[in-house]
Amino acid sequence: MAATVMSERGRKLLRDFPALGALHEHDRKGIEGLIGLVERAAEYNRDVALPRALELDERMEREPDYFDWEMMREACKYRFFSLAIPEVLGGLANKYMVTGMALVVEELCSACGGIGLAIAAHSLGVAPLIASGAMAHWETVLHEIVEEEKKGNPVLMAYAITEPSAGTDVEEPEFLAVARIGLEAKRVKGGYRVNGRKCFISGGSEAKYITMTAATDRSRPLETWTTFLVERGMEGFSTPRVELKMGQRACHAAELLFEDVFIPHSHVLGYEGDGIANGILIIMAASRGPVGAIATGIARGAFEHFLAWAREPANGKKPIDEDRIRMALADMYAVLEENRGLYLGHSLGGDALFRNAFTHPLFLSAFMIPRRIRASKPYASLLNSYYGKGLVNILFRYFIKDEDATDMLAKASLAKFACADNAMALVSRALELMGTTPSPQRRWVEKAYRDVKLTQIYEGTNQLNRLALYNTEIAGTLKVEIPGPFKKGVR
Amino acid sequence: MARLPEFREEQEYRILRDSAASFAADVLAPQAEELDLQPAPWRVKKALAKADELGMLSALVPEEKGGGGLDDYAFCVALEEIAVEEAGVAVALLAHNAALLPAALGEFEGLITGVGEESYPACLAFPGEVALREGKVNARVPFAFNADGCPFITLIPTQEAGTRAVTVRSDAAGVSIEAEAYPLGLRAARPGALKMEGAEPSNLISGGDMLGAVERALFLGLSAVAVGIIRNALRKAYAYARERYQAGKMIIEHQQMRIFLAEMLAGVEEGRSLTRESCSSRELAPAVTAWMRNTARAVQAATDGVQIHGGYGYMRDYGMERLMRDAKYCQMYPTTSQEALLRLLDIYETG
Repeated sequence: MAATVMSERGRKLLRDFPALGALHEHDRKGIEGLIGLVERAAEYNRDVALPRALELDERMEREPDYFDWEMMREACKYRFFSLAIPEVLGGLANKYMVTGMALVVEELCSACGGIGLAIAAHSLGVAPLIASGAMAHWETVLHEIVEEEKKGNPVLMAYAITEPSAGTDVEEPEFLAVARIGLEAKRVKGGYRVNGRKCFISGGSEAKYITMTAATDRSRPLETWTTFLVERGMEGFSTPRVELKMGQRACHAAELLFEDVFIPHSHVLGYEGDGIANGILIIMAASRGPVGAIATGIARGAFEHFLAWAREPANGKKPIDEDRIRMALADMYAVLEENRGLYLGHSLGGDALFRNAFTHPLFLSAFMIPRRIRASKPYASLLNSYYGKGLVNILFRYFIKDEDATDMLAKASLAKFACADNAMALVSRALELMGTTPSPQRRWVEKAYRDVKLTQIYEGTNQLNRLALYNTEIAGTLKVEIPGPFKKGVR
Repeated sequence: MARLPEFREEQEYRILRDSAASFAADVLAPQAEELDLQPAPWRVKKALAKADELGMLSALVPEEKGGGGLDDYAFCVALEEIAVEEAGVAVALLAHNAALLPAALGEFEGLITGVGEESYPACLAFPGEVALREGKVNARVPFAFNADGCPFITLIPTQEAGTRAVTVRSDAAGVSIEAEAYPLGLRAARPGALKMEGAEPSNLISGGDMLGAVERALFLGLSAVAVGIIRNALRKAYAYARERYQAGKMIIEHQQMRIFLAEMLAGVEEGRSLTRESCSSRELAPAVTAWMRNTARAVQAATDGVQIHGGYGYMRDYGMERLMRDAKYCQMYPTTSQEALLRLLDIYETG
């Protein structure tokens, strides 16, 4: 991310986000890079998202199978599919990866929660590849994403954990231990045979690569939970249906069907049995904050339309001239500020944690090896070997400490449920105050009302997130354990 | 066996409750999804025609004028039961009956348009600007239920001595109706915007305070519809909570989920009492209060109901998200809750 010349909007962003304003004094280039990202997202909104959001939402109620590839191709120009890919691999993720992600999704979701989700779901799919340290796939999958993006071809990823009979259960170790798991990846010669279904997978029907967590023994899901890389085209793998959702429709929620799908050993991310840590908890610790940003973005969009409504004259007077509307606007503004504080508190903390890994000379030195070698099969087999994975594990444990990861999970869960509840209340109140007014703004706020509800559900229901905060911060019973070398699991 | 606490009411209401419930279960429940997703006029009309067997197409018109002759509470009882299955149809019936109300209460020459003929659902053009000048109607009504596809419209002009309400056929010259492009909820009640320029009325109705009567009917009716929505949310969420395993036990065994469900139950109790109480008063204030309270409860119940269902609640197939959308429109019409609150104080001040 190159430093940009500060525009007026950039300066306003620094005022809007006081935490960034303070950091700007110490790290001009880094923060201006973030501002640049938000400005690009705003440009995408103006040119791509806003002109199609309402029509697309309505169309996808009539044709739930339709997908707007054009908006994704346009997103390539803005490089939104490289947000979670480290700079050394040609991506945009630097020491502000999580914060950048959060700021961009807030901006995108202020225009359309569905389009924002379609873009963000891809990075969520990328995250387990990064977090598991599965470097063997970085040079192939991530490289392909970056290179194709430059040509305007979106190569998408998705992240699959939810099963028809277990949603919340797969996001918390205590629950996973007693979950009724339907999908199983049975160990066979050379890899695993997968049978079963995943459901509600955001972007699952469009993704070329899917990071998936699954049990290798259904009777012991917690101990055998494992992260896999699934490729479209694997025999027996299909995405038979998408849901008709209340909102955020621009992004499909897909069912994934596995009928005797063979996944080779090379496609296990991390070790078998590491899934709860590297496939769930670390991902949640990174992603729940940005979900708070999605909620904040949708609420901000509703606030802006509400404000525009309040300024429109109706029957010779403007709602904004009324005291009660001004009070409501102030309340909503306060909620948005509070939300931003919550999700930034998480994302800046998260960046401080990941920064240790991604900017460390030891990490960077691995990329001094010529790409020709890094992309070669023997190198990949080395990284994929028992000892190769062990070495990556040692490094991860060195860079990221358990207590920091636990702290991040706590902050992420807090930001997620608090932002989502605040946002739901804000949007609901905006509609309540507008009534069935004839303004064109109402349609946008009604859409926000449908869109925002999902933020209370996905990435763990808000009840589960409350529990995660309680268990980590208050009771101290939930600890994230970064998978160590040659330890635990079923191996 | 889960059951709602007995709500004490006279035999006649209980009988009506039962027949409305069977109508809703037999006629509306099987097509609830279509009535939301594709509420074609023929489908809505067919459902309403069946409701006529309960006297619901002229419920508030006295029997001597050829109507169903239900009292306010009986009408609310039927609406609540219908809304348990399909709130959109309940609101279509409410708007239709509110549109017939001026004719039922007032005096005019000729026959009431809409009673005893196939002329439904009628539209009540309210709230909006309506003026009667030199015998012609000029009006601008931004949002009214049943507007799209109605045969006739009832309007209540402001400041017109003698005439208190008029009806206008929707095919009369100067009438234009624009369907709401994409209604959030209550889609079977086909909302839309109305404009009239120099339209010829078919009935001129004189009488008492039509506006107050119509408003009161809307507030009461929507309070009852809101209770129906809460009941539907409770029923669906409770059934789901009993069949879905989560975190080592059934959802129903999770305390926080029990609190959500208990809130819904409290909402039904409170909602019914408020509705019943406000029916027994001729004043507007109790009806306004019941509407504010019940619709807010309904929005919360529907939102919590979706939450109990988790991801499934957000998907169309489970019929839960529809309640969130329907409940919200009940809260947004005919006025906003804050304007209603201010109205309450106005009523207090002016006596």
